[in-house]
Amino acid sequence: MSLFNSLIPAFRRSPAVTSATSSKDLGPTIRPAYEVRETQDAYGLTVYLPGVAKDGLEFTVEEGRLRVAGRRAWKRPEGWTLRHRESSDANYELVLTHENTVDFDKVHAELRDGVLRASLPKHEGVKPRRIAIS
Amino acid sequence: MNIVRYTYPNRTLSPFSLLNRSPWTGLESEIDRLFDSVLSDFASTSAPDRFPVDLYEDAENAYVRAELPGISRDDIKVEVVDDTLTIEAARKLKEDDKEESFLVSRSVSLPDSVRSEGITATLENGVLTVTLPKREEAKPRKINVSVN
Repeated sequence: MSLFNSLIPAFRRSPAVTSATSSKDLGPTIRPAYEVRETQDAYGLTVYLPGVAKDGLEFTVEEGRLRVAGRRAWKRPEGWTLRHRESSDANYELVLTHENTVDFDKVHAELRDGVLRASLPKHEGVKPRRIAIS
Repeated sequence: MNIVRYTYPNRTLSPFSLLNRSPWTGLESEIDRLFDSVLSDFASTSAPDRFPVDLYEDAENAYVRAELPGISRDDIKVEVVDDTLTIEAARKLKEDDKEESFLVSRSVSLPDSVRSEGITATLENGVLTVTLPKREEAKPRKINVSVN
């Protein structure tokens, strides 16, 4: 697995910093690690946002796009000297497109230990249906 | 007289380098997207075998911060053996009915200035902060020198 990780540079390096895509003042942002799993009834979204507390989290939907923005809550105290740095100070931003398959009134989302877990139920019309043959 | 734009010889020294996009950002995100779509099923980037660790120091303590989102306190073990601090965490993956867990760990060598007792750790928003107090002799002290 580590050989595989060394072959694919994206798995080793920290993500490149991009400028924020919207007008919110997030500053430079990085894309958090995330997973989307699909079941018959819903999509399960898991976004890893270490260092983000509930008041720093924005979960919005607009124009066919789902946007998760997280602001880190920790500020380095005065007097701390840096010795070695691997994580980033940049805030998180993730934009996913949905083709109107999600019923956003029934979304359940929870942020715990820096992980956002959201269940996005599918619209009734999109769920697989049995069609009776007469 | 020509006006020529001065480019900093080393990009990281430029005061603006952190604020602007790096010229590779666009290419990098495109390639990342390509890899993600191909490999998302069997190479989970959210559960790699390493996690980022930052080291800080001030006059009183040394600090180690590790990003461990989604892991509860009981699944994290922090150990100090001789001069090495080891952080070990069990990542649990729930796949329908099966639950898999695998261990990730990082070790950090501690400088001599750190005491071996009084070490505390807190977990907040998925970030673990370990505070290691320094030995009294290692703390910066003012020494008064009288000049004759």
